[in-house]
Amino acid sequence: MISVGIDSGSATTKAVLVNDGRIAAQVVLPTAFDFLSAAEKAYKNVLFIAGVDEKDINGVYATGYGRNSIKFADRVISEITAHAKGVYHLYPDVNGIIDIGGQDSKVISVNGGKVTDFLMNDKCAAGTGKFLEYTARALEVPIEEFGLLALASNTPASITSMCTVFAETEAISLRARGFTREDIAAGLIKSIARRVAVMARQVGLKQNVAFVGGVAKNAGIKVALETELGISLYVPPDPQVTGALGAALLGIS
Amino acid sequence: MQQFTSLDYIKNSYNARISQIAEERKMGKKIVGTFCLFVPDEIIFAAGADRIILCGGKNDTVSIAEQYLPRNICPLVKSSFGSIVNNGCSGVKSCSHFGMVDMVVAENTCDSKKKMYELLGDYVPTYVIDLPQRPDSPEALKYFLGELDKFKGAMEHLTGNKVTVEQLKKEIESSNETRKLLHRLYDLRKMDPPSINGVDVLKVMQKQYFLSTEEFKKSLRMLIGEAEQVKTEGAHKPRIMISGCPMSGGNTKVPEIIESKGGIIVAEESCTGTRSFWDLVDESKNPMQALAERYIKIPCSCMSPNDRRIDNILKLAREFKIDGVVYYTLQFCHGYNIEKYKVQQALKKQGIPMLAIETDYGDSDVEQIGLRVDAFMEMLS
Repeated sequence: MISVGIDSGSATTKAVLVNDGRIAAQVVLPTAFDFLSAAEKAYKNVLFIAGVDEKDINGVYATGYGRNSIKFADRVISEITAHAKGVYHLYPDVNGIIDIGGQDSKVISVNGGKVTDFLMNDKCAAGTGKFLEYTARALEVPIEEFGLLALASNTPASITSMCTVFAETEAISLRARGFTREDIAAGLIKSIARRVAVMARQVGLKQNVAFVGGVAKNAGIKVALETELGISLYVPPDPQVTGALGAALLGIS
Repeated sequence: MQQFTSLDYIKNSYNARISQIAEERKMGKKIVGTFCLFVPDEIIFAAGADRIILCGGKNDTVSIAEQYLPRNICPLVKSSFGSIVNNGCSGVKSCSHFGMVDMVVAENTCDSKKKMYELLGDYVPTYVIDLPQRPDSPEALKYFLGELDKFKGAMEHLTGNKVTVEQLKKEIESSNETRKLLHRLYDLRKMDPPSINGVDVLKVMQKQYFLSTEEFKKSLRMLIGEAEQVKTEGAHKPRIMISGCPMSGGNTKVPEIIESKGGIIVAEESCTGTRSFWDLVDESKNPMQALAERYIKIPCSCMSPNDRRIDNILKLAREFKIDGVVYYTLQFCHGYNIEKYKVQQALKKQGIPMLAIETDYGDSDVEQIGLRVDAFMEMLS
């Protein structure tokens, strides 16, 4: 039984090929403008890496923001259900998921791999990957180094604005007031963590919580979230692909 | 789902109603514009006036209103105000009734509306009914009765007609008849699957205070006649109740998303749903007293405490066999937004899942809402 899950996200497109319940190959590439052509590319790549012929594929399942554009998918599923399935596969005892992606953040309460409640941030880049991208730019730091920079601070600056545009302004004014890059980065990360932690508490996430999505690769955010929530988080080795994995697993269930 | 020809009749009723109002005005009849369930139709009709709802559900006139009103208030208030100051919102289709009222009858409910009415008075004569907001105290009922008496006087002054007890009784009977018909329509939604979908019912409900009562009742009878003939069959779909803010004419965004994603809306706990017709007026009592008693019990979020609303939601959830509740709020509607927490807690105790959606009249969040609804449907099935 071979199936492919494609997570067509706003920033990146992810594909996972599952063979008899095991991940055989995975691909992450930028989405750019066209959801469909990015998905096609990811699909071809993941087949190539797994060394599998297209005719041996039993099903293709799409999720993510662009899920309805993926015409060659056999079924679509929301990324909330997909993440729950994917994370449950990796951590069978999981009962909460925090997913921070390019344009939204979600907290999901799960029980036995099934979604029981969820919340998403509303109409705004606050607490998302975009927020990090913009503020990293304001600090003139590559996004990859942003988290490490924040971890180096002992005295995070206080950032009160949750609006991406205003937070950028606030970061610039802190710069002008002589705060270090490290302290501003730590302050910005703390502000995201605080926002996401509020959502997590609203949904009632307590223990066995996984942190996934592109932003989970950022060690600074992970530590800040753990501090805010007072728990340690599961972060899979490839936190970006749990949605695609969950979609691929649809073929098995 | 069955297509009913009577629905087309209701959907296409706009122009006929506009001609009717124009005709009535020519004959000297006064037209009253209203915004709210707390304004008793019965008193308006008993004075020999006609009424038409002015709640705006369209995005087009929001930007007009923003020249006068702050950006961060509710879209319903902005849309309505924009339509009125623009005198029938020039160039916007199905909007001309906004310029056809002789007087607005407003009510002190939420802050945004209250303060908007203060500005509205510069554009159209505006009468405000003051609404006591502690519904279960005897003093409140007495005060409200006094306010309704004053309102009756204002209507008599506007029309030059005396409001008699006989007229009031007749209008109460007539409005109760409408309410009973709506109960009958909603009974059809208790079936699984129901014989009529939620978006269609909403479009009917949006016409409740737009059409004349006679025309509205006729439309309902046509629709009920058709829908009661239908034998429903098919697979179970997640049965959704919408709870929260009104969805005024032109605004069907969220219900359309819900039903396009495989859900079926079987009840709306809102002003464009059960709240408008659930309770009848007691025909055996003194009419003004009976009106005051019935109207003050409408569980609007401007009331405090408003536990009656929670009880209603739980009762409706049982009666309509609800699988999940979509809690719908308009942005900056503080009353319904804050009550969300209590509703969620109450539903949680009953094991009924709830999805909260906060939105406005724009289309920018259709995809985001679609994702939440998709996930909610997957969760329910």
